[in-house]
Amino acid sequence: MTEENNAELETGQIMANTGLAPGHFLLVIGLPGSFPRPAPGQFVMLRNLQNGETVLSRPFSVYGFRTNGDSATLELLCRVAGRGTQLLSRLDVGAKVGILGPLGQGFTIAPAVKRIILLAGGVGAAPLSFFLQEQARGTSPLPTTAFLGAKNAEIVTALEARFTGLSGVHLATDDGSIGYHGAVTDILGRELQGGDNESTQILACGPTAMTKALLRALGDKPVRCQVSLEERMACGVGACLGCAAAIKDARGEIAYKRVCKDGPVFDIRELVWERLL
Amino acid sequence: MTEDKTNISPVKLGVKIGRLCLKNPVMTASGTFGYGEEYSPFFDLGRLGAVVVKGLSLQPRAGNPPPRIIETPSGMLNAIGLQNVGVEAFISQKLPFLRQFDVKVIANIFGETIEEYQQLSAILSKVQGVHAIEVNISCPNVKKGGVVFGTDPAVAASVTRKVVAETDLPVIVKLTPNVTDITPIALAVEDAGANAVSLINTLTGMSVDIESRRPYLANITGGLSGPAVKPVALRMVWQVVRAVKIPVIGIGGITTAADALEFLIAGAQAIQVGTASFINPVATMEILDGIGDYLIKHNLKNIGEVIGSLRV
Repeated sequence: MTEENNAELETGQIMANTGLAPGHFLLVIGLPGSFPRPAPGQFVMLRNLQNGETVLSRPFSVYGFRTNGDSATLELLCRVAGRGTQLLSRLDVGAKVGILGPLGQGFTIAPAVKRIILLAGGVGAAPLSFFLQEQARGTSPLPTTAFLGAKNAEIVTALEARFTGLSGVHLATDDGSIGYHGAVTDILGRELQGGDNESTQILACGPTAMTKALLRALGDKPVRCQVSLEERMACGVGACLGCAAAIKDARGEIAYKRVCKDGPVFDIRELVWERLL
Repeated sequence: MTEDKTNISPVKLGVKIGRLCLKNPVMTASGTFGYGEEYSPFFDLGRLGAVVVKGLSLQPRAGNPPPRIIETPSGMLNAIGLQNVGVEAFISQKLPFLRQFDVKVIANIFGETIEEYQQLSAILSKVQGVHAIEVNISCPNVKKGGVVFGTDPAVAASVTRKVVAETDLPVIVKLTPNVTDITPIALAVEDAGANAVSLINTLTGMSVDIESRRPYLANITGGLSGPAVKPVALRMVWQVVRAVKIPVIGIGGITTAADALEFLIAGAQAIQVGTASFINPVATMEILDGIGDYLIKHNLKNIGEVIGSLRV
């Protein structure tokens, strides 16, 4: 379980805002060096202080984080999904932003795991990239393979940038412009047939359709699998109950959990299949 | 942590809601602050006048299916569905945390029948650490109960009477704005023994995704909150202040100290902050500090000099 209640409210400064592909941009945000180091899978709430049009902050998984004594740099990989993200994509260098975080439960690798598979759909690549960054800082990174799916070549090659030093990186695009033509979960099956599934853990993040397909692909194979979910958020800290997801416990009883506080990372088998929108 | 200027400056911010003494007029609105734990890392809860907890029902409630929220111009819609742990779990698991702080705890309650309101009142009255009861007769998000109680003066009075009969705690009745005229309802609950009224709860609203052609909320409609509702809330507070003798607590789109002062000037004895805390976890502290600054700037010694000072 990730550290509870170490979130802070800070004002950051945009150091860079780079377009990566149509509708996708990278924000580099300067923060005080005291900002707590996020765990992979955690996110921040980004508040636009430049523009009074949108009211609520927007949640983004941590894509990158570095500290340098007095200062820290936070990187967010963003997709323009609506008005809020459209306005964020226009932030100027030097603009002040509000950052609340790090928030939520990140990925946890079980002790018995010897092999990791990363499965990303679109900007779902962000927290998985950060996982790789942090794993590389550790003493013994586990052998890792990545499967990245996106709409087209332009997007998937932008997302692929930080998936380096892996046993394999497999691409899939909706339009077939690079890699496999179709759903990224189609090419995952081969990987699960070879190798010891009991010591394999999958970390996944992407659209709901991908999560549903992943659940189908897993069947009852004894593979560990964690998924990072996304939901509209207001407070981001677990108070408002806006970001509910139907989750079943060990006895199969269903309750609404908070994606911001109890997640965003959940065991895939906790998700209630029929309720996934 | 924001600096506590109230200890340094000579201004007095204490207010009274009937028998309930608050150190200052800043409260958190039910449903926006959980049971206090989530916001405690950001500031000392003991600086607040009061915390109004998430609405409590007799039995735990799961709440509505997602999507439950959507941003709208200058605000948001919510259809949480009154998800809560139930009154027993609140008392055993949630209240002990809040009791660590020097803050008044107000238990917001709701029921599907008048008997449930009665039972909740009786249960909470025996609990150490609860300082008042706020009666939610106004949630528009639940399909049965809720709206019905708060839109009919006689029904609203009936609920109030039953709750008051079961308790010695101060009883605040929270009013719905989804009515033609809020004044008769305020008068009816005052007559039935309410020690105060709080208003407004959310306005019923809707939002549609034009690509999917579906409502953004699974519940279709939801409650509107945030800056967009402030003019309506302020108008209703002013109307009710002129009609009743009991204290009025103002709620609706308060984001800054200036917003809070509008309500106090219009006659509210205290205010509640809701949506603003989502946007800025320390909004209540900035509002509190700003109220103090205003008094100093205007050479006023006591918040009482501002309350109800509207010039018309």
